[in-house]
Amino acid sequence: MKTIKLKKESVQLVKEVLKDIKASPDLGIYKCVQCGMCTSVCPGAKETDYDPRDMIRRVLEDDETVVDDDNIWNCFSCYTCNSVCPCGNNASEINQILRQMSIDKGEGMKKIVSFAAYGDSFMELGVGSIPSNFFDVMVKDIGPGYMDLKINIEDIRTDLGLGSYILPEKAIDEVESILDNSGFKDRLEKIKRCK
Amino acid sequence: MNPDSSKDISNKDLKIGVFLCRCGGNISDTVDMEKLRSSVDAEVVEEFENLCSINGRKIIRDSIIQKNLDRVVVAACSPITHEKTFQKYINPLNPYLLEMANLREQCSWVNPDVETATEKAISLVNASIEKVKYAQPLDPILRKTTKSAAVIGGGISGISASLSLARQGIKTCLIEEQPTIGGAMVKVGKLFSPEKLAEECAMCLLNPLVNEAVEHKNIKIMTNTTLKAAERRSGNFHLLIESKPRKVIEEKCISCGKCAEVCPVEVKDSWNEDMTFRKAIYKPFAQAVPDVYTIDLENCKNCGKCQEVCRMNAIDLDMEGEVIPMTVGSVVIATGHKTFDMDKRPEYSYGRHDDIVTQMELARIMGVNGPTKGKLLKPSNNKIPERVVMVQCVGSRDEKPGGRKYCSKVCCMVAIKHANVIKQHYPDTDVIICYTDMRTPGMYEKYFKYAQSNGVRLIRGRPGEVAEKDGIFTVRLEDTLSKEPLEIEADLVVLSTAMEPSDGTINVSGLLDVGLTEELFVKEKHSKIKPVATEVDGVYVCGTAQGPKDITDSIVQANAAAAKISELINGGVELEPFVASIDQSKCTLCKKCIDICKYKAAYIQDGILTVDPISCTGCGACIWECENNAIEIMGQTDEQIIATIDGMLKDKKPDEKRIIAFLDSVGYVSADNIGINKITVPSSVRIIKIPSMNRIMPKHILHAFKMGADGIIMGEYPYNPMYSHTKEKIAGLKGELVKNNINPDRLAFYKVYIPYFRGLANKFKEFDGEIKCLDTP
Repeated sequence: MKTIKLKKESVQLVKEVLKDIKASPDLGIYKCVQCGMCTSVCPGAKETDYDPRDMIRRVLEDDETVVDDDNIWNCFSCYTCNSVCPCGNNASEINQILRQMSIDKGEGMKKIVSFAAYGDSFMELGVGSIPSNFFDVMVKDIGPGYMDLKINIEDIRTDLGLGSYILPEKAIDEVESILDNSGFKDRLEKIKRCK
Repeated sequence: MNPDSSKDISNKDLKIGVFLCRCGGNISDTVDMEKLRSSVDAEVVEEFENLCSINGRKIIRDSIIQKNLDRVVVAACSPITHEKTFQKYINPLNPYLLEMANLREQCSWVNPDVETATEKAISLVNASIEKVKYAQPLDPILRKTTKSAAVIGGGISGISASLSLARQGIKTCLIEEQPTIGGAMVKVGKLFSPEKLAEECAMCLLNPLVNEAVEHKNIKIMTNTTLKAAERRSGNFHLLIESKPRKVIEEKCISCGKCAEVCPVEVKDSWNEDMTFRKAIYKPFAQAVPDVYTIDLENCKNCGKCQEVCRMNAIDLDMEGEVIPMTVGSVVIATGHKTFDMDKRPEYSYGRHDDIVTQMELARIMGVNGPTKGKLLKPSNNKIPERVVMVQCVGSRDEKPGGRKYCSKVCCMVAIKHANVIKQHYPDTDVIICYTDMRTPGMYEKYFKYAQSNGVRLIRGRPGEVAEKDGIFTVRLEDTLSKEPLEIEADLVVLSTAMEPSDGTINVSGLLDVGLTEELFVKEKHSKIKPVATEVDGVYVCGTAQGPKDITDSIVQANAAAAKISELINGGVELEPFVASIDQSKCTLCKKCIDICKYKAAYIQDGILTVDPISCTGCGACIWECENNAIEIMGQTDEQIIATIDGMLKDKKPDEKRIIAFLDSVGYVSADNIGINKITVPSSVRIIKIPSMNRIMPKHILHAFKMGADGIIMGEYPYNPMYSHTKEKIAGLKGELVKNNINPDRLAFYKVYIPYFRGLANKFKEFDGEIKCLDTP
């Protein structure tokens, strides 16, 4: 049986969430009445066991295990939950804060390894681009046309009268230097080591 | 009342009698009465064990008569305890020629040391003597209100208020914008009774009331009319009522309906929530009162066909509107509500599908005089629905843009009522209510349980969306109790929309100068202890114009409003005369006083600035605004305030500290509480009672410092309408001190509350300490 003890434990998850730099100043988490409107419109909740309403409840009840719950990684950050919430709360935002807590703890690092390739594309091309390890999924979602687009992108751009999207060598070097000096590169390597 | 009459006698010539009370030792054990007596400079100084006793009365009265006294000071307990008693005891003198020095609560009980207590007692008595010299004979303000009222809005609230007023003999005019009275109640069809667990016919309950209103000699019903302008004059309201031309002569129309048969214009019938059609000449419903047809000016094409068939010659297409002036003693705002605009919540697909309806539309569908003659049929295909899903809190408890933060209070009961009616007549139709919290307080809980036992299903979750595919609706929500996202298929969706203030409520309040809440409902004078009263005296509110509520509560409020008006008319009001008085020779009608007064006491009448003594609290905020010094507060004139300060600071010793504490009436009671609880306060503190800190001007503060005050503390209760001005003023006063080379730290402000007297005592101690520090080099 769960007991709400007279003596309060020192950790209070909701306070940490509200202190986070990502938390909006008018975040309505304390006003949540658990109506479930967020979950009712959540595409993640439809397909997985992710439940934004329950996630908010666990934060309010100081259940720290929510940070380690795999389900928090099923949010698409579409913000539909926020657009319907009658209390001015934002489950997407809270989800991102919890994910960052998980990453800071180390556990969450594994969840973002597959996104490391995005970082590589910044280092190699100077711009963000969908990494090759996602191509199969993209073809599955969009169809074979996706690969045609990928292969013929330069020709298509020329036809449309647009210039090359590949940055000049000098610009790529500059971007790489910024990413290196700002600590981005180190962080990327750290994430990759979690494989 | 001539303010100059007492000035004919020089203040020095006034014969003042000072009566000292020992209070059975309560005062005399701590205050050296002998020393006090010898220090008082007055015509008569008497001392008695219990001045408030009948014997005390004899002593005071005999002295007044024998020594020909002009003014009286009673030095005894707090004026809160016995001022009224002593005002009677000084008869034959005018009761306002009395001052009391508070020697018990604010001296002997808070200063255990005999020497300092005696010093303080002397200055308190001196202050009273100085002040009483400027006292003027005043009369309490008596007001009786004209025995007539206007009730604006002819729904159940307005009808109930009118009936109550009329039954008490008050001439009442019931003003209704629509062609018929009855309001929302005639549309809802069924009412439910939590006691009987049954539904009753709304029309059958309302009709006897409507009939009584029609028949009552004291009620004049004016339909098709609106309030155009309002002006308050000497406690009366001058109203301008505009009536739209009905184009049908009421006296001639026999309501045969032939005109409507031939009228070629068809328009949506708002009485049936736009689900049916009516003609441009129409009667909203069979039992409409008055029982006559009306031409809808917006849609009539003036073809004259109705005129041709009318055998009574009742139709006059050239009829013009009228503006009718009237004067009444009181006004009741009963302008009702409207429902939430569903365009603001497109996620529920309202307006895109005929079978997504509001609760009011469902009420019309199920009403025997509605579009389906009472049968529950879907608007799209006239078939009985298999499943009805009700969505609660649509627009209520909603902080999104356009939403209403409050709970609309009746929707849970309305949903249960409709669910019960459906279950009784169509047991095969499934009814599901999607709720966040079921709020069924009091007896309504019984009706809620009754719905559960009838098989009404309840799912806890707030739907985020209603979608449609192939004629079937999907209501998406999370069943929050089983923690499962859920899609409910339905063929009729009913939205429980929020109650909002009606346009009439907002317009009428503006015309009457009555304040509104944040949500634009009519604001009550005090939501806890002054219900149904508004900021403007003589204007009352009832029903949903004041906030969401059900029929029972609306009727209760309507009766309360009528009772309040009856109090004004039958009892009259007797008030202390300490209100603003205008020197007309100095007033330039700049209106600054009108703008600042949140009590709405000042107004211009026939080119003269007038103060409504019932509304004025004598706070004095207007004096600051008046550049021509045309305003005085009776009983708190500048002379009286200055004299009191002088008395408090008289004979101050070089090494002594004196702090003047200006307290409002709440602060004064709080200070009395310090005494009652025998908490010691610094002997330096001298309390002066002032109606509001807004009365204190820089000249008073500067005078006090000039006369030797070491510090000034001001205490005010923060929940009064003028408090925002107080705060600005304190900053202004501190600025004045800086300009005059006085340390602004010598002026302190403190929020006072009656039960928080220990806080006030601590503040006195703290401030006394700070002042001592300032004076220590």
